[in-house]
Amino acid sequence: MSDIIEVRNLSFGYTSASVVLKDVSFAVPSGTFLAIVGPNGAGKSTLLNLMSGALRPQSGTITIDAAPIDSYSAQKLAAKVAVVRQESVPMFGFSVAETVLMARTPYFGAAGFESQADRDIVKAALEATDTAAFASRPLTSLSSGERQRVFIARALAQNSPILLLDEPTSFLDLKHQVGIYDLLKAAQLEKGKTIVAITHDINLACQYCDQALLLGTDGLYRHGPADKVLSAEQIKHVFDVQIFTGRVGQERFFMPLGKRAKDSRQINTKTDEI
Amino acid sequence: MRAETMDQLLRPRKLIVTTALALGVLLIVMLACSLVGSEDISLKAALSSPGAIPGANPDHEIFMRVRLPRIVLACLVGAALACSGVIFQALLRNPLADPYILGISSGAGLGAIFAVVAGLNWTLWGRSPVAVLAFAGALGTVWLVWFIGGLTGKFHVTGLLLAGVVVNAFFSAVIMFLTSTAKSDQVYSTIFWLMGNMAEEDFLVLWVGTGCVVGGIIALFFISPQLNALSFGAEDARSMGVNVVKTRTIAFAVAAGITAIAVSLSGLIGFVGLVVPHAVRLVFGPDHRLMIPLSAIVGAIFLVVADTLARTIIAPAQLPVGVVTAIVGGPVFLILLVKHSRKMGWLR
Amino acid sequence: MNKWVWLLLGVSCWMAAGFALCGPGQGQASPSAAPPAPPKRIVSMAPDLTEILFALGLDKEIVGVSQYSDYPPAAKEKPSVGSFWQPNIESIVAAKPDLVVASTTVGFTQQKRLAMRLARMGYNNLTLRLETIEQLFEAIEQIGQATGRRQQADEVVRDIKSKLQKLSSQVGAGKKVKVLWVVQREPLRVAGRDTFVNEMIGLAGGENATGRTVQIYPPIGAEQVIASGAEVIIEPDMGQQDLKAQQESAFRYWSRFENLPAAINKRIYVIPGGAVSRLGPRLYEGIETIAKCLRPHLFES
Repeated sequence: MSDIIEVRNLSFGYTSASVVLKDVSFAVPSGTFLAIVGPNGAGKSTLLNLMSGALRPQSGTITIDAAPIDSYSAQKLAAKVAVVRQESVPMFGFSVAETVLMARTPYFGAAGFESQADRDIVKAALEATDTAAFASRPLTSLSSGERQRVFIARALAQNSPILLLDEPTSFLDLKHQVGIYDLLKAAQLEKGKTIVAITHDINLACQYCDQALLLGTDGLYRHGPADKVLSAEQIKHVFDVQIFTGRVGQERFFMPLGKRAKDSRQINTKTDEI
Repeated sequence: MRAETMDQLLRPRKLIVTTALALGVLLIVMLACSLVGSEDISLKAALSSPGAIPGANPDHEIFMRVRLPRIVLACLVGAALACSGVIFQALLRNPLADPYILGISSGAGLGAIFAVVAGLNWTLWGRSPVAVLAFAGALGTVWLVWFIGGLTGKFHVTGLLLAGVVVNAFFSAVIMFLTSTAKSDQVYSTIFWLMGNMAEEDFLVLWVGTGCVVGGIIALFFISPQLNALSFGAEDARSMGVNVVKTRTIAFAVAAGITAIAVSLSGLIGFVGLVVPHAVRLVFGPDHRLMIPLSAIVGAIFLVVADTLARTIIAPAQLPVGVVTAIVGGPVFLILLVKHSRKMGWLR
Repeated sequence: MNKWVWLLLGVSCWMAAGFALCGPGQGQASPSAAPPAPPKRIVSMAPDLTEILFALGLDKEIVGVSQYSDYPPAAKEKPSVGSFWQPNIESIVAAKPDLVVASTTVGFTQQKRLAMRLARMGYNNLTLRLETIEQLFEAIEQIGQATGRRQQADEVVRDIKSKLQKLSSQVGAGKKVKVLWVVQREPLRVAGRDTFVNEMIGLAGGENATGRTVQIYPPIGAEQVIASGAEVIIEPDMGQQDLKAQQESAFRYWSRFENLPAAINKRIYVIPGGAVSRLGPRLYEGIETIAKCLRPHLFES
């Protein structure tokens, strides 16, 4: 399996003084589900923005599907990479279907209208995200969870092999959190998409992701298979928090515990040999 | 169920039918207004031949050479201001934006006053120095604001707005200075121009103006899908494959251009560029592919009606058009807002 | 082909067609030859021109006057064609004039545009400048020429000039009386040196107490009032108000300037505005009124 995303010696800072990412290198094989995890300020969103072409690296290269990222025009890049950012509500009341249809903008005809093929793609995306029921409702009338699914539908409608998501479940309830991860996993397994998601939920990452990239605020990072990277020691070190490690089935789960937690005595405990 | 979900998407047919209907309404309004004025004329006399010497058929003269050109001008200016309002609201993502927000008004005013105070006397293709300098002032100011705004980072919306505010304030101060030190006749002349007025123009001016404004509106229609995507923000639009820089540049340049033309033709007429886009959006939805042509047509209708009122209410004197647009536009907009807010789900 | 290319092509063709259809410049301009016969339907675009036309005996030929034409009283009966700021071109056309007389003294831009537009539509028009007394005489003669009343025009001018001659000998070459000419009280505005009022004051034996100013009707402050040392203050009445009431309020107002000679000697005059607020055939009446204010003793007969 070839690497669809290659990041080499990437360095970036918003100003010349501050450095957010230093000399980061990793590769994402095609068709994998990568979780990007790390504490606030480690540069996760920055990395995602760099990978989507919104920011330019100060040094280093990013290669998408064997071509450097800056060799792509906006249109060609959109055909390869779709991004779901943290929630954004538009100024004006577009409906759900109109919103998802915007993903097909580069393919509109000369008069600015979509083709039947575009409409089919939109329909499929709406059904995949279970949002077809409110296709004609304005975006502003939906709940956060429903809106998030619409934005994912929009990203799916781009028909791109890569999907980048920035904390796709941060405002959602349990049902929707799981629903979205199921959706993403289905997209990966059934359609062969490469998914890169920033998440604060390490446990869901363990359950769903194949690979993990752990970014620390000190500039250190670890990349590799999820079960190797997301280990108790790493998490404790990078997040600076005490945890309890347990096992669900084939995967572990991690429970952060503070001094005043009810089970604070279980700090640094692991259930059976992990 | 399936057909339903895609129903409210804009189809070419719906666009064409709606635009055609709106154009029909515009033509009817234009005809009706051309028969109304401070003098009573009969349509039959107006359409018959002009006669050998001027004065032989005053109905024809009034209809053809006074009212029609004025109505055509009102259409042009109304369409230009309304479309430009749509664009500035989309680009700046600010529902309070109007065509003058980035200093076009004070730039044009400064150009006009400068022409008046300096007592310039030449004409350029039959256009007075006031009109030419107002146009130059408008465009120059947009460039200046763009440049200053650019110093705060590439197309930073807040930076642009602030630059616009600063430039507006500074130029307004210069205008007031020039006004207070000018001869009294020039002062009145300037203030009069600033209140917005429709004066009949000659054939070539109207022809060229129509070409520019209609061409501009078509160009804006071409980039409507990109404008739709831009309403989610530049980042999202870029991720969807829109060339944000190209879209913004075209939109900005065209909107500024047609506004400058409108301002040089008829002074500063407010309200049209602010209210018409909102009204059209409330009734027809935010899709720019529909909003651009419809705002143009509704803007034209609005200004033709307002101008007709301006020249008949206190005949033989005339009100400045800007006064009528504000008085008529305000309540109409309020009614629309309440009625359709329910539709958009803002009022539950 | 690219839709942008089509658009550019389309717009270029449109522009080319426009230029082809009519050529750059003024559009259809009919030659405005001078009418062979004296005009029978005249429209006046300014009150001072209306006065002149009536003075030349053209009352029957006048078919439209500007809104504020109030002298002679017969002028008020004529149909209005808008004001000098807002000429109503429809009314002008409806009046079927064969001569339109306009002045660019007030509303310069509007009047010039009006003249251009009328010329384009093939109407004869005469546009005059009426800012100085010399220009007034010229204007009267030009209007006389254009309306076939050259003789009457010359007579009117001669009459005014001879009366002015007599007045100047009556007034003598004595010391000029300092006059402050107040056109508005709040805020205080006076007539400056570049006005026809200034000339009238000069011919009446006075001099303008205000020095050179940038604006022709400048607002001035109390300091300048005192510095002017005015011996006489003249306020033309601007409305139809009771002259007596205005005179009383004027006395009250100016009494605060205790060091001003005009206030001390109570030489404050409110005079009827008609003949002194515009340059017209009543020029002599206006100047005579001023002279009476400046040297009342000379006219006590």
